[in-house]
Amino acid sequence: MRTTSRGIVAALALSPLLAGCFAPGEDGSGTGGEAGSAGRLRVALAVPPVQALSPYSNDATVLSKLSVAEGLTALDKDGAAAPALARSWTQKNATTWVFELRKATFQDGTEVTADSVVNALDHAAKAETRPRVLSDVTLTAKADDADTVTITTKAADPVLPLRLASPALGILSSKAYAEDGTVSPVGTGTGPFEITKLTGKTKATLNRFDGYWGGKAKASGIDVSWIADGTARAGALRSGDVDIAEWIPTAQAKLLDENTRHEVPSVRTDSLILNTASGLFADATLRSAAREAVDGDVLVDSVFGGYADPAQGLFGPAVSWAADRRVEVTGRATAATAAQVKAETKGKTLRLATYTNRAELPEAATVLQQQLERAGFTVKQDVREYTQMEADLLAGKYDALVFSRVTLLDTGDAVAYLASDYTGDGVYNIAGLKDSKVDQAIKSAAEEGDTAARQQKIMRAEAEILRTDAVVPLVHEKVVQGISDDVEGVLLDPRERSLVDVDTRLK
Amino acid sequence: MSITPSAGAHGLPTRWRAGAGRVVAGAALLTAVAFLPWLSGTDPALTVLRARSAEQDPTPAQLAAVREQLGLDEGPFAHLVRWLDGLAHGDAGTSWVSGEPVLPQVTTAFAVSLTLMLGALVVTVAVAALVCARTLHLGSRRRLRQARAGTGAAVLAALPKFLLASLLATVCGVWLGWFPSQGWAGPQSMVLPALALGVPSGAVIGGLLDQSLPAAFHEPWARTWRAYGLTNGRIARTALRRALSGVLPQLLPTVVALVGGAVAVEKIFNIPGLGRLALESAIAQDLPPLQTATLALVLLGVCAGALIQAVRRALLGPALRDGALPTLHLPALPRPRSLPWVIGFCALALLTLVVAGLLRDPLHVDTTARLLPPSFAHPLGTDSLGRDLLARLGHGALRTAGVALAVTVASALLGLLIGTATQVGAGLTEVVSTLPAVLAGLLTTAVTGPSVWGAACAVCLVAWTPYAAQTAALLEQERASGHLLASISFGAGPSYLLRRHLLPAVLPPLVRNALLRLPTTVLVLASLGFLGLGEQPPTPEWGRLLSENQPYAELAPWTVLAPATALVLLSVLTVSGTATGRSRAGLRTAGRGSA
Repeated sequence: MRTTSRGIVAALALSPLLAGCFAPGEDGSGTGGEAGSAGRLRVALAVPPVQALSPYSNDATVLSKLSVAEGLTALDKDGAAAPALARSWTQKNATTWVFELRKATFQDGTEVTADSVVNALDHAAKAETRPRVLSDVTLTAKADDADTVTITTKAADPVLPLRLASPALGILSSKAYAEDGTVSPVGTGTGPFEITKLTGKTKATLNRFDGYWGGKAKASGIDVSWIADGTARAGALRSGDVDIAEWIPTAQAKLLDENTRHEVPSVRTDSLILNTASGLFADATLRSAAREAVDGDVLVDSVFGGYADPAQGLFGPAVSWAADRRVEVTGRATAATAAQVKAETKGKTLRLATYTNRAELPEAATVLQQQLERAGFTVKQDVREYTQMEADLLAGKYDALVFSRVTLLDTGDAVAYLASDYTGDGVYNIAGLKDSKVDQAIKSAAEEGDTAARQQKIMRAEAEILRTDAVVPLVHEKVVQGISDDVEGVLLDPRERSLVDVDTRLK
Repeated sequence: MSITPSAGAHGLPTRWRAGAGRVVAGAALLTAVAFLPWLSGTDPALTVLRARSAEQDPTPAQLAAVREQLGLDEGPFAHLVRWLDGLAHGDAGTSWVSGEPVLPQVTTAFAVSLTLMLGALVVTVAVAALVCARTLHLGSRRRLRQARAGTGAAVLAALPKFLLASLLATVCGVWLGWFPSQGWAGPQSMVLPALALGVPSGAVIGGLLDQSLPAAFHEPWARTWRAYGLTNGRIARTALRRALSGVLPQLLPTVVALVGGAVAVEKIFNIPGLGRLALESAIAQDLPPLQTATLALVLLGVCAGALIQAVRRALLGPALRDGALPTLHLPALPRPRSLPWVIGFCALALLTLVVAGLLRDPLHVDTTARLLPPSFAHPLGTDSLGRDLLARLGHGALRTAGVALAVTVASALLGLLIGTATQVGAGLTEVVSTLPAVLAGLLTTAVTGPSVWGAACAVCLVAWTPYAAQTAALLEQERASGHLLASISFGAGPSYLLRRHLLPAVLPPLVRNALLRLPTTVLVLASLGFLGLGEQPPTPEWGRLLSENQPYAELAPWTVLAPATALVLLSVLTVSGTATGRSRAGLRTAGRGSA
């Protein structure tokens, strides 16, 4: 009796042990840490795939970062459109553009034709949740002949070539698009690297695609591992597990060797958003007082450990044209003095919100709290995970928010950000701003087709927005990329769209 | 003898009742999870959209598209029914976020976590063995003349797992390169995380075992066996077997629960385990994987519970069934001479910390004085915002200790109650003990919204399981003891039995257990902060001090060293404090007994 029960116990105890032990073996095979040999790059990325690398999700940037998929166009250093799968393009009229394709092959061996481009763009336009880049435009693509595509937009879209550079509009072969609406970039892109295996949310294996139109890549392949924790990512680089680790947190940057950390000004601006629609900051003089109280510059060397630039406006040094075209802000409300603030806010606390997803923000909020309290406000913080508070943010339940925002979205054009965040009917208008002059300025920028004039109008809109004190820019973030000494040719892109390309290789 | 047939007659109904308890508890939990997206007050369409694409604008059209795609308007019932129906066909649905089948994801993550847990179990057993090795050695030779204070176990049990994990990853992974600092590529990547998880757990288990071993050694059989000439090893083994049966159920909430509850360590070592999967899907309100992960954890809890029960039965054997167990009561041993010194030192150190800290400003931010090492101006250094750590520790002390004690008392009482309801309680305990605290936190926020007391409620919701398991195990033994039978035959009523026999047998180990778990409670409370539960920053609180300074652990070790030391001091103080209380009480009863 006893022996049987012991036998059962032993069997029960052993079976999960054995079953469990094999799991990591499966995971590890083929993509082990020893794969750094033979010219393969080992890259640690920060954001694990959410939709199996579908271009219509967050994962799209992975495809462009690792040069897996390409669009018709690409962005050059200054953020202008450059040829990619399209050799050249011409604008026929306000709504019609003609793109000439280059000769290229997909990684599955099929040719890139006008039909395959139309197919890819149609799928993007019909995706169940539309990629952000298509949210404010409706486009139709038509194949004229084998290598000419005509794209028409419903309304005039001066930034169409920029739009087409979005990773969400990467051109994949027809094999990629399944019946059920899912899109798989595994072996279906046109870039110099081909995804051969994707292991859950942890690893991916990329091999060189020898048929790339731009020549053979110098690295024979890429082993990607996703490491969400910043400390672990930095640790992986330091212990030599990976060659490239993106987004090293500022708290870890100092631990890296000086020649392995590379800083890039980012298009991300951190700012204090004030709720103009309701609560304390509906009063412009209080907003003005808050702006004068808040000093973002002290954050640069403290919270950001030097990896940030002092705020110059909504657009920082990563937006190369912004500084030259900046418009002076005039007509701001006069700030209330500390005594006035105390009198006006009597008994009311300032609800200061921020979120934990970016480690620097809660620290920044605590610094700002002290600055605001000196100006006479009584401050209470609310810090949570972003998704836990987004609905409350959009509903205007807070007076102020420390917010980190990408100022050039998918389009690479600043108008989309301004329109969604600061126009009266903007869907991401956390400041609750309703100002006809702001709306007008943004609208006229959106309609401008000429690049230089458009940039000038964007900067005029920036000045109009800053005049309202709905937003107080704090710092422009810098991204620290960890790159081992043995690697050369890594792209340091302020838009965080590219990282590895044909020329990246181990020394 | 008369009890044997009645136990047989009760056998079937009790087993039914236990089974029913499990089914009801499991079903209730799964239903609660199924309702989460509708209860939470946060639109699941928004969280799913956010998880898919972080920069996506939440336009009404986009949200409507997500809602329609997921069928959110059908309500929770339709989803639950569909999920259960699919489950019957071996299909757990597709993830709302990724659109991929859930079952492969969950099984892979489950296998990874289970393997890691088994590794942690090995470490736990090793550490527990080390903790009680001395008692075992002395006891088997009848040289156990002093009570054990349990200081060593208290120190180890107070080490925060995530801090241990960071430390191991940095030192053994990055600096020395002995083991991989992250990833899950083979047995060698299991070593560090298993250590980080196993050492504190082993200290808790070992501490409990260490406390009950002297009682086993003081039973009459030990003397007889010794006189009879049996080897020390034999006596030690039997005593261990005797003491283990009461401690074994602790493995369920302490070690098995790590399958779903090791999120922090999984993050630090980048392990694709079930804890992270459950957390991510809970945050995104991605119901199918969350439900499936919960189901897996419930089943794991029930299976592990049954397994542990079987092992216990095998250890205690027929004695448990026949009511022939002598009761396992602590012998009256004099306390070790060093104990007052230990208590005095800890008390003095904590008192100094609090008094000195209270005289300083814990909120003053000075960005020019960040991460300063300890100096005359800042005796414990400053944190990343230049705030004085001594001040933050001192101001946080009362709040931290107060809330943690209150939560511990509440969960211990709850555990005592549920543990007393043996059969139904056992099912409930098994189901809840593997539930991650974060899930409890989410369920709590859904009901209460973000609040100061939310964290305390959420922790109470899951933290009672170790105490219930312990109570149930001890009561079962106690009920099978000969002297209880004698009392009943003398006509003692239930309340008399409870007061004079059952509670005195349960309480001392329960208190010890609760105190050993006090530091964990502090950390779990702080870990729910990101849900908006608990005090908001910049309020100083020890758990938060540890977590907010964790990124700076390598750059400025003092920022985490100070709060960790404070936690250790608190733990040692409470554990040794009760050790003196206990031995005094023990001496008193012994005196009365002999008189």
